Amino acid sequence: MSPASTKETSERQSIALAINGSGGAGAITAGGMLLKAAARAGFYGLFTRSVGPQIRGGEAAAILRLATVPVDAAADRCDLQIAIDWMNADRFAGELNLGPDSLVVADSNADEAPQVIAASGARIVALPIAALAKAIKGGRPNMVALGIAAAAIGLPREALDAEIETTLADKGTGAITASKEALAAGIDAASEIEFTANLAPTAPAAEARWIISGNEAAGLGAIRGGVRFVAAYPITPATEILEWMAPALVKAGGSLVQAEDELASINMIIGASYGGVPALTATSGPGLALMLESLGLAVASEVPVVVVDVMRGGPSTGIPTKSEQSDLNMALHGCHGDAPHIVVAPTSVADCLFTTQWAVHLAEAMQAPAIVLSDQFLGQAKAVIDRPADLAFIANRKVEAAPAVGYRRYALTADGVSPMTVPGTAGGQYTADGLEHNPRGTPSTAASDHSSQLDKRSDKLTGFDYGQHWADVEGAGPLAVITWGSSTGPAREAIGMAREDGLAVKLIALRLLAPSRPEDFAAALEGVERMLVVEQTHSGQFLRHLRAEYGLPRDAAHLCRPGPLNFRAQEILSAIRELQ
Amino acid sequence: MSESTEITVEQMLARAYAIEREAQARYADLADQMQVHNNRELAELFGRLAEIEGKHAAKIKQRAAGAELPYISPLAYRWPGTEAPENVDISVAHYLMTPHHALKMALKGEERAVAYFEDLTEIAADNDAKALAEEFVEEEREHVKLVKAWLDKYPEPEAGWDEDHDPPAIQE
Amino acid sequence: MTMDAIPVSEALTSRDYKSDIKPVWCPGCGDYSVLGSITTALAELQLQPENVAVVSGIGCSSRIPAYANCYGFHGVHGRSLALGTGLKVARPDLTVLVASGDGDGFSIGGNHFLHACRRNIDLTYIVMDNRVYGMTKGQPSPTTEPDWAESALAPGGTGLRPFHPLVIALASGASFVARAFSGDLLGTAALIAEAIRHEGFSFVEILSPCVTFRPDEREWRNQVHPASVEPTDDPARAVRRIMTDDGFNTGVLFSGERSAYSAATPDGPPVDAGYFDGDFEV
Repeated sequence: MSPASTKETSERQSIALAINGSGGAGAITAGGMLLKAAARAGFYGLFTRSVGPQIRGGEAAAILRLATVPVDAAADRCDLQIAIDWMNADRFAGELNLGPDSLVVADSNADEAPQVIAASGARIVALPIAALAKAIKGGRPNMVALGIAAAAIGLPREALDAEIETTLADKGTGAITASKEALAAGIDAASEIEFTANLAPTAPAAEARWIISGNEAAGLGAIRGGVRFVAAYPITPATEILEWMAPALVKAGGSLVQAEDELASINMIIGASYGGVPALTATSGPGLALMLESLGLAVASEVPVVVVDVMRGGPSTGIPTKSEQSDLNMALHGCHGDAPHIVVAPTSVADCLFTTQWAVHLAEAMQAPAIVLSDQFLGQAKAVIDRPADLAFIANRKVEAAPAVGYRRYALTADGVSPMTVPGTAGGQYTADGLEHNPRGTPSTAASDHSSQLDKRSDKLTGFDYGQHWADVEGAGPLAVITWGSSTGPAREAIGMAREDGLAVKLIALRLLAPSRPEDFAAALEGVERMLVVEQTHSGQFLRHLRAEYGLPRDAAHLCRPGPLNFRAQEILSAIRELQ
Repeated sequence: MSESTEITVEQMLARAYAIEREAQARYADLADQMQVHNNRELAELFGRLAEIEGKHAAKIKQRAAGAELPYISPLAYRWPGTEAPENVDISVAHYLMTPHHALKMALKGEERAVAYFEDLTEIAADNDAKALAEEFVEEEREHVKLVKAWLDKYPEPEAGWDEDHDPPAIQE
Repeated sequence: MTMDAIPVSEALTSRDYKSDIKPVWCPGCGDYSVLGSITTALAELQLQPENVAVVSGIGCSSRIPAYANCYGFHGVHGRSLALGTGLKVARPDLTVLVASGDGDGFSIGGNHFLHACRRNIDLTYIVMDNRVYGMTKGQPSPTTEPDWAESALAPGGTGLRPFHPLVIALASGASFVARAFSGDLLGTAALIAEAIRHEGFSFVEILSPCVTFRPDEREWRNQVHPASVEPTDDPARAVRRIMTDDGFNTGVLFSGERSAYSAATPDGPPVDAGYFDGDFEV
């Protein structure tokens, strides 16, 4: 369905749009429906939300990128903003990043557009969004906005009607009819506007796609990996992991306990895991900080656990609803003593599933804690992804089912992993301890016991075969971008744009942050002459880590910015160009 | 006296055996405590006492050979005090204690055992059981004599036996 | 189970629940007796040692798991109840005993204490209360008398009202509360056995003298006495009694009916992970 306009419209691989409104306007709901409709029509997409600090009635923006290829990054520019109202909407200006080529459709009766919007150079047109909605019994402005958005990007009406029927199924036929009418009103009204960009058509997907958030993907990855016990304390932006996992765990025969605080959460999962049940908790920076002492207990007593840290702006209470990559230092070095453990980080929404599942497998295989560094951007973004592959990474703990007399829980073995008895096994009794111990587990202050147990706990991690999953190494060239986590998406996009310009750039996106992989890293850097390190921190935590572990050349460039704004491909592309 | 049922020969033997085994275990625990706290003299002394109780237990087991002793759960014994009568009071141990203190504890234990078996003679179920109880009374009286003689070798130490010039050491 | 049915040769004695590790507690410490009470209680119940787990925090009393021949976890300071809760919810088939002291349990562990009572998980919480921090050389604890002045950290005494764990346990919903004295080994064993049998969270506070830092606690043996009334199932009555008693009443002070925490179960057999694909398919 194309707009009734005579102007030339270009077909684009990807379009970025936003719907904003406040006071219960329902912008977020509209955005979610748009994503689903686009997915049905065969498009990929990424949907994030930005909200004010109010719990209800606050200003909200649904921010979407719809594309013919998978999307893992915020857009460089917002092509279309539909403003149901302008209340506190300047809050979103930085995130949306309007420009002279952008179009803003605002309600005719709204206030003047905020100064920052007007100053962007975007074309601003008015439509009677609220009035159109009011004219329909039960009509809501967000459905009108949805119609405008659909028309603007060339999304078929049928896809949206189907989505309305699904989403509003339990609200009754009245609501469905009203919404469809409001949608139609929006589409019709949009016919008066000249849109300069349409999404290139695409065929419906051959294989079913999924819509999933990073947090849901992490939860699913955990269950696929074998987790059957979760104890956690709610914290933004990790709570959705727990919300999804609570009923899912029960269905899978496991359980979830809401703990009184993070100190309890980490200890509960250590207790459950000691009992033989793979266990996980999810939190954010402040919660992980509380858990550090007991993470050391898991290291010392060699009990596997997984802690998902959905990073947010720090330090302290920081910016809870925005993303940042600044928990790296704490995740790597926060424990007292020499406490080696596993740290992994997903590189995209879809990768949250793989990496969390892998983390369960790693923790169980090596009887050690694993921290999964996700972040708010990945965790709360909903993406349209290809159906994830079924992976063989499941919990496979070395269990001693028939302990002989004189069984030693912490025996020194070739690979550093000593079989663990599970309570209930006769003859296998031992006391797990945070105190340093001898191979039997009895507390010991002897130098030889301390050094051999330290070696054991370290060697078991460094000697493990992580395969090719330690990093995503893509492409070849004299230039390289080294990054991790949610910065990978925009970096990948930037590299794609650079390639179109004839620049050969390699991507090295680390997934395994601890232990370090010096040989793999050196191999990845072969042929690379100049490199750019990209991270979302203020103090350059990732660069320091790379320097400390891998000794980067002094002329390695550094693109380093804290939250709350996520990287855009264009920024990284500019930095790449400067490398030459 | 917490016993109210009539005690048969088998039950008598079971109790006597339990008393010796409990006492043996108690002395062994004290020997361990003394060993860990570097009081070698007392570790050996308590070790000897444990050995002696072990021999008493073995004797009773022999005597009980062929009889089917009933299982009695720990709380079902209903000992008159806070535990089996011959168990010495573990709460009065001290890492610097001397043989005098240990043997005084042992003496009290044996005296309690005498009293216990004396009470059992009153509620023996039959003549055999009563005779057995009286035998045990005699044996325990013998033990009292022996411990007294042993104790006489160790007069009460002077004040200051528990003085330690070192301060306590922090552990965790 | 009928005790008569156990052949004597197969019966487990309290010695079977002790490991071969020799305790390092000061001779005279009440905790030796508590270990005896716990192992006696387990022998009374004839539980298989491998089906029992003893979980602790940090402190003299928390050394106890290594001295028992059961599965054990010597965790970090103050978190023993959380460890025990996770273990019991994940492994409801085990008998879980959580051991703590007055510092580990009521100071740093205070929050977890409140919520463990609330949750009513079926485990037994044994706190060896000696009204002092023994492991760190004798500071006042939350249960120390306000005028105990022997610590350099609180010259002249803390002047603070002591924490009242039994009352707090009741206010938080504990369904079985008992006070014991370590010097009465069998009496304490009986209370522990009853606590283990009780379905739900059972709290046994054991007055256990510290011979090194609180020699004055030798007096306790003359001050403790069995509670003169039957245990009540009315929490308000129990609280009133406990708040007005002399602090040395021993026995079960409250035993109520409250269904123990039970994790939700699926309606039907557990599904495998592939079941959840449907949540996300477009």
